[in-house]
Amino acid sequence: MAKDARVEAAISHWAPRFVVNGVPLTDFQEVTAGVERWEDWCAAWSKRAAVHEALGDKAYADGSKLSAGEHWTCAAVCYHFGKFLFVNDMMQLKAAHTKAVECRNKALPLLDPPGERVAIPYEGKHLYGNLRKPRGVARPPVVVMCMGLDSAKEEMDDYESRFLRRGVATLAFDGPGQGEAEYDFPICPEYEKPVQAVIDYLETRGDADAKRVGVWGVSLGGYYAPRAAAFEKRIRACVALSGAYERSGSFEGRPIINVEAFRVRSHSANLDEAAKTAVRMTLKGAAQNITCPIYIVAGTKDRLTSPREAEKLAAEVKGPCVLSIIEGGNHVVNNYWYRYRDQTADWMATQLGVAKR
Amino acid sequence: MNATAGRDKRVEIAIHNWAPRFVSAGVPLVDFEEVTAEVTRWDDWCAAWSRRGADHEALGREALAQGYKLSAAGHYTRAALCHHFGKFMFVHNLGEMRRAHEKVVECRNIALPMQDPPGERVPIPYEGKTLYGILRKPAGIGNPPVVMMCAGLDSTKEEFDVYEDICLARGLATLAFDGPGQGEAEYDMPIRGDFEVAVKAVVDYIETRKDLDAARIAIMGISLGGYYAPRGAAFEKRIKACVSLSGPYSWLEIFEGRNELSREAFRVRSHSRTMDEAREVAKTLTLQGVAGNIKCPVYIVAGEHDHLTPPENARRIAAEVGGACELNVVLGGNHVANNRRYAYQTQAADWMARQLGASR
Repeated sequence: MAKDARVEAAISHWAPRFVVNGVPLTDFQEVTAGVERWEDWCAAWSKRAAVHEALGDKAYADGSKLSAGEHWTCAAVCYHFGKFLFVNDMMQLKAAHTKAVECRNKALPLLDPPGERVAIPYEGKHLYGNLRKPRGVARPPVVVMCMGLDSAKEEMDDYESRFLRRGVATLAFDGPGQGEAEYDFPICPEYEKPVQAVIDYLETRGDADAKRVGVWGVSLGGYYAPRAAAFEKRIRACVALSGAYERSGSFEGRPIINVEAFRVRSHSANLDEAAKTAVRMTLKGAAQNITCPIYIVAGTKDRLTSPREAEKLAAEVKGPCVLSIIEGGNHVVNNYWYRYRDQTADWMATQLGVAKR
Repeated sequence: MNATAGRDKRVEIAIHNWAPRFVSAGVPLVDFEEVTAEVTRWDDWCAAWSRRGADHEALGREALAQGYKLSAAGHYTRAALCHHFGKFMFVHNLGEMRRAHEKVVECRNIALPMQDPPGERVPIPYEGKTLYGILRKPAGIGNPPVVMMCAGLDSTKEEFDVYEDICLARGLATLAFDGPGQGEAEYDMPIRGDFEVAVKAVVDYIETRKDLDAARIAIMGISLGGYYAPRGAAFEKRIKACVSLSGPYSWLEIFEGRNELSREAFRVRSHSRTMDEAREVAKTLTLQGVAGNIKCPVYIVAGEHDHLTPPENARRIAAEVGGACELNVVLGGNHVANNRRYAYQTQAADWMARQLGASR
């Protein structure tokens, strides 16, 4: 039985990512084995998510709050991956997305350390983020976490935990074209704008040190983060994972679901319009303004973003730079996560003045 | 590139039965995929895993050189796991097995003091010899209750990191140990059916520690340890709660139907020269006439589709225990329900925390 090419694309590109970001291996195997047509993708994941949601409900009813937080986080990740590229059916996408946000919101106060949903004023509306602070640290430094084309703040638990254990607070947020903001705000290549809003927000809080802010980005966020660092001088350090140096107006060679997600989230009627947004994504002329330390990660087997992009960025930045091109690494090196996730968290903590742990 | 075609049956057994276990215990998925893809002969299994273990050791050394101890602990713990799974069933080449095993213990020992919360290697006096355990205590809790963790036929104390973290986060200290026939003890001390003797030694040891609450001890066991734990609870009344994961009621019945890797591991680790001798030892591993003496509360887990230790075992134990019992047969679960850990793992830890009055 031949699977839909879009299902094959999702499976072949994303298996390691799903698992390391919190989907149980069996769930990945069973859900993807049960989906033949892409149209069934979102429902299948939502069904699996509901299993974890029910386990969370049960744990909560039993008074086991920490476990409830963990089950609901797992539920949120499953709903999220049902939604992530499902732009072909916006009703279903939005229903799954609502559940992802709801489950993660229920989990946040129960986690260790707990999280808090925060509203960040932006262009007359709000962006939403999840703020978590490390235990036992007064006014910790913060890393602002930038999502990509199809990730959202609900996918960040693993990354957050690594920073938190090292004494760094995390603020994962949905920017324009991402997660909760994708309906009202199209993808914004000039991503320094939302990051400025986030840092302005951090300055209003007394419980985080807005003088020690790092920025971090994954995939398309691996372009957003250095872009922000080039313009926003309150940023003290930057981590860029598998980001583009510059996007072309051509979508050739990319999986169709990926292209469609870009079109829809840039609020474009067609690919010609989407291309106009894509070509605005560039670090040319901007990278030289990155003077803070930067840690750049790329995989040699990345089929979505060539490691050449990382090399170009590294060549142009003006501050200290660590370039880690990982042999055999796929997109975001989710397969060899142990070669950069702790390493970048350690590096960021050191840049932000936290004693080594 | 068709790796499956000429593949040794024993490699197939290991991959088929243990994939979810490896990954849920902390082996990165890509390591499992790549290492098992490259191995076609069982003879190459241990070396392939040891090479992967060495990769993680190198990452650990690098982190350590830079002063990042927490990360080093993670890398060395993963290194220990890879060496461990190289060793776990490799009883047909004891020289190679032992070299891998030495790396397991060495790597985990390097990791322990740097973990959060840290761990401590502890020697436990036992019949004039010494058993070794890993003790970890939850941060910020004085005199915590403690969970003794029993490994099985091929698991060892170094495989428990994930279980430990779940218990520690719930205010429970953990003491994973290698008992007779397991890990560091398997060379000098054969498997014994009356595992309560080893359990008593561990409880005695806990009583000597001023930093643990010996009045609040639970025992949990995995796979064959799912027999050892209730066996210990039946005889050792200082144990206040028991968790049994996919344990046999009567090992002999299971043993006969097991695959050749399991049977050989049992033969070697029971120090038997022949399968007939091993069968005699197997007879002694039974809860018949014993389960009724378990008066403390028990939480029993089985996988609906466990073909290694079918769920009937759990049902028999549950039916015979003399105290309160919760039976969790996980739908679609395989051996130890490693494919559905979310259906019992935090639940069992929460249950123990409640039984022991843990403060989180």
